[in-house]
Order: sequence, then structure tokens, then C-alpha cells
Amino acid sequence: MDESEDVPKDFIKLKSEKLSVDEVSELVVSPYCGAVSLFIGTTRNNFEGKKVIHLEYEAYTSMAESEIKKICRDVRQKWPSIKHIAVHHRLGVVPITEASVIIAVSSPHRAESLEAVTYCINTLKASVPIWKKEIYEDKYPWKENKECFWANSEK
Amino acid sequence: QVSVLYFARSAELAGLRCETLRVPRQVTALQLWEEIVRVHPRLAVIRDQVVFAVRQEYVLLGDQLLVLQPGDEVAIIPPISGG
Repeated sequence: MDESEDVPKDFIKLKSEKLSVDEVSELVVSPYCGAVSLFIGTTRNNFEGKKVIHLEYEAYTSMAESEIKKICRDVRQKWPSIKHIAVHHRLGVVPITEASVIIAVSSPHRAESLEAVTYCINTLKASVPIWKKEIYEDKYPWKENKECFWANSEK
Repeated sequence: QVSVLYFARSAELAGLRCETLRVPRQVTALQLWEEIVRVHPRLAVIRDQVVFAVRQEYVLLGDQLLVLQPGDEVAIIPPISGG
């Protein structure tokens, strides 16, 4: 039986569950490839001095998937030796330090996959319709009306 | 009749994520924007920051003539921040 020729594949997923580096890198591993390059985008806890509690992502899902497919097609034109490409992006709430995006690319030698991963994340940020909202720490986010008769008991 | 999709800030300003609108079959991107702002005046504030995606292709708010079919998707795309 002929071993599968390991046809180059693109693995694109937008999901609200926690992303897995193991899962994404295993998608692109190939016996023909000596290199798997990875990028993980993680949520930071501060922006302009304000403390970020978490991030929320939303997407124009169908178009985001098709734009990521276009990026994969461009990658294969620029670096023809690339084997597999995986792009997983998380949607919804992403707690601090968790991954919002993981990109993995495999190639026979390391130069191509390293360059392709960089191209992928840069182009994703420029063209894929996904938005993030940062939820900042507030002293106490719930407002209280002064009319409330059981609060404001300073007398 | 086209489906208009709102995302991120534009969804907050319009107060909804999706609706059908009756629009002319041929219209420039700018004219289409003006139609949408007529329905949702609060969107006017983001005019300089948004683009359209018509049938999932980006279109700037300019003079480009759009030929719309019934059921086409038109999305308001505020500045993106994925990754």
C-alpha cells in the first residue's frame, strides 16, 4: 500500500475553547519535514499602564477563514517547500497569559518555516477580520444610584 | 435586499449584529454607507475608520461601484485587531 504522500494541508480553526500547542504542532508534523516553526500569541496584562483583566475576541468567521486560506496560499507561493500550515485562533474570552492564536508551519529545512510563520502572523494582523476588546480593571465596575435607599448609609 | 453585518464597535453603535436592508442594485460604496447611516445615525462617528466587506472582499468607502445581488452579505469592518 502506498504511504500517503503527505499532501500539503492547511488547518484553520476558530474556536472558543482553550488552544493547545501540542495539538497545533502535531497537525503539521511530517516525516518529510525537519522543521516545525511555531508562533503563540498570548494575552498581556497591561496596556498603556491600565491593567487588563482579560481579552474578548470576535470574528467575521466565514471571511476570517477565507482570509486565512488566502494567507496560506500566499505562503505556499512564496515558500514552495512548506508542507503543512496550521492557524488556530481563539474567540470569546481569553484570560491573561493564555494563547489567543497559535500558528505552526512545517518545512524540510528551518529557514522557510521560520519565515513563513512570521509572514503568517504579520499578515493575519493586517487582513483577517477578527477584533479584540480589552476589559480593564476598574475600581468597582457596578454603578450605584444615589436614589438607592439601602446604600449610601453615611448618616 | 442585502444582509448587513455589524462587528465590534459598529455593532455597539448600531445596536445589532445583523439585518436585511433594501438598497439599490447598483450603488457606490460611499452611497451604501450613507444609506446605512440613515438607518443608524450613531454609525457616523466611525466613518473614517471603517471599510466594507462585500461578498467577503474588502471595499473602501469610496466611489467604487458595487453591483449587489439579493442576499449578498455586506459587512461593516472596523479596524481589525486579531492575532
